[in-house]
Amino acid sequence: MISVCHLYPDLLNLYGDRGNVIAFRRRCQWRGIPVSVREISLYDTIDFKEHDFVFIGGGSDREQNLIAADLMKRKEGFKEAIEEGLVILAICGGYQLLGQYYLTRDGETIPGLGVMDFITRAGDKRLVGNVVIEMDIGGLSVKVAGFENHSGQTYLGDCMPLGKVLSGNGNNGADSLEGVRYKNVFCSYLHGPLLPKNPRLTDHLISIALERRGMGCKLTPLDDNFEDRACMAIMRRLGFKKITGGSKMQGKK
Amino acid sequence: MKLRLLVAILAGKIAFWLSRSRGNKGTSLPGLVARKIYPGSLLDLASQVRKKIIIISGTNGKTTTSNMVAKMLSDAGYNIIVNREGANMISGVTTSFIMNAGVNGKIDCDFAILEVDEASIPAVVAEVTPGVVALTNFFRDQLDRYWELDKIIGIIRDSLTVLKRTTLILNADDPLVAQFRKTTGLTSFFYGVGRHEVSARTSSQAREAKFCPFCGAPLSYDYFHYGQLGNYNCTGCGFERPLPRIEALEPATTAGGTECSLYYNERKVSLAIRAQGLYNLYNALAALLVCLHLGLDIRTLLDSLYKYNPVAGRMERFNYYGKPAFLSLVKNPAGFNEGIAALHAVKGTIDIFIAINDNEADGRDISWLWDVDFESLDQNTRSFLSFVCSGRRGEEMALRLKYAGIPVERIIIKRNIKSAIKKTLAGQAGSAYLFSTYTALWPVHKIVEQLAAKEVADDQCVSSIS
Repeated sequence: MISVCHLYPDLLNLYGDRGNVIAFRRRCQWRGIPVSVREISLYDTIDFKEHDFVFIGGGSDREQNLIAADLMKRKEGFKEAIEEGLVILAICGGYQLLGQYYLTRDGETIPGLGVMDFITRAGDKRLVGNVVIEMDIGGLSVKVAGFENHSGQTYLGDCMPLGKVLSGNGNNGADSLEGVRYKNVFCSYLHGPLLPKNPRLTDHLISIALERRGMGCKLTPLDDNFEDRACMAIMRRLGFKKITGGSKMQGKK
Repeated sequence: MKLRLLVAILAGKIAFWLSRSRGNKGTSLPGLVARKIYPGSLLDLASQVRKKIIIISGTNGKTTTSNMVAKMLSDAGYNIIVNREGANMISGVTTSFIMNAGVNGKIDCDFAILEVDEASIPAVVAEVTPGVVALTNFFRDQLDRYWELDKIIGIIRDSLTVLKRTTLILNADDPLVAQFRKTTGLTSFFYGVGRHEVSARTSSQAREAKFCPFCGAPLSYDYFHYGQLGNYNCTGCGFERPLPRIEALEPATTAGGTECSLYYNERKVSLAIRAQGLYNLYNALAALLVCLHLGLDIRTLLDSLYKYNPVAGRMERFNYYGKPAFLSLVKNPAGFNEGIAALHAVKGTIDIFIAINDNEADGRDISWLWDVDFESLDQNTRSFLSFVCSGRRGEEMALRLKYAGIPVERIIIKRNIKSAIKKTLAGQAGSAYLFSTYTALWPVHKIVEQLAAKEVADDQCVSSIS
């Protein structure tokens, strides 16, 4: 049984991010992999070690502050699980929460969980629009499409980006980097939602979650015709012809 | 009379005809031109309204509510000005006055009924003083344009608070709307829907308001109608659903629309409208309370409401060789969920068409489709024969349905809107339901009109097939 934990679905639910949990669960079910989803909200107890995949989305400022306080109380257990290889997908606000801090426009510093070495600053203009990035998935260069909508600008310290921006802004609109990747933690600004129309990434998350459980095996291929067509609808508009292939990823910081 | 106003009116009218002759609707250009020539155009013309200016705003239901008010007031014999659908920003509002004005710079108008975009409220009330403001509901809508809901609500509150003699007509069931009585301090009257058989104990749909707008404590609900609409009270400060002046009880969907009893002035009357969906009932209640507040007689109003024909894309009814077809505009999860609820109420089989565009006016971010409860369609798959997905993002719609558990054999992607509609109407099912986002609505409407006959509400007028 693969156990999925959706953190704060009632609070962090802007921009259809629950689609990521739907995609993860369905792709397990279609392959006959038993999967359960648990929703965790403020004050609920949770042992991160019991879970295989944790998803955390983005929310409005007010809700995000409530969550930061709640998550801070769970910090130690969360950090430990991450070091032990827990598979996590964090989007937008959920992504920002995992860094060192968020610097607001008024100069106030809101501390993050400090799990990874990056910081976020409130920007002057909101970065909004379709995005295509290129990332490495199991040694293969894959293009991933989504929609960004954030005013926070994230700058990476000593950590790896999730991918390289081919079209759009990504982390900050300046350094062509998008997201963060650390152990089995994947962070991104891409809504859309991210997983449904990027099935290679979803399957990668499922694979590493299974592997960690000692259930590792090659996943049964699925018919991804609809998935690829939905992804191509964005890609073609931004001038890309193929989802896989292209330049091999550089060992960029 | 100010010469500049006269020139502005004339130029606006010329702009209208030029824009029309080029095939545009000409709804905002005339206002834009007039304002350029004389920035006080709207201020001057609106001050000539003899009785009252009524502003209608909120996320969903603005157009239907405005049209219902317009219908009731014009049936009562008043001269009215209404802005055209979609032209709900300041230039569109100005256009409606320019087009009504004579070349002598005079308008002939008892009531102006203005549908105003939420973000345009500050600009409009700076020039137009409304006697009545009706607010429908607040849901997330086009977030990439307006950002977060809290900000929009704050903007509206700030611009209404400075008005002193305005009356508010508010939705009692939406805490985000009901809070306006206290936050603005204006005289307010409420409408609402009482508990009924399909009221839910919980709301699985994306809810916008989980916390009290005043003290931040969690809101506790007795029941939900949809989204955050229901009977709520705050566990912290005691903020609760206000007592409505008019309340709809036991609403029921009928073949022709919606019926319910209405509690008003300590008595019960029956209300029937020719539109399905709880959201249309809310629109009717808002419109009714506006007109009751203006002092009109309830019997006459109920009669007018019953004769009201839904406008384009509001569960508008067509007839395709004897088969009913319904067209609805969808623009956010709350509205689409209501459309889906209507599907569940249909007896017999249905073919479904969905057109999703992601142009600026639709909202470029369509991720909200993943917040719509398409999963509920899964319980009833035998009734839904086909799902034809079209528009610029038809592929994403198809993907959404696949992940909601709809068998892929029933999902068809057709980019071309016309062939997609033809396929849907010609389907095997007993009825067809068409859903479309904003910029696809007009093309869809035009094509459906060519293929099927529009049904009018009057029973005596039997529809023919064109």
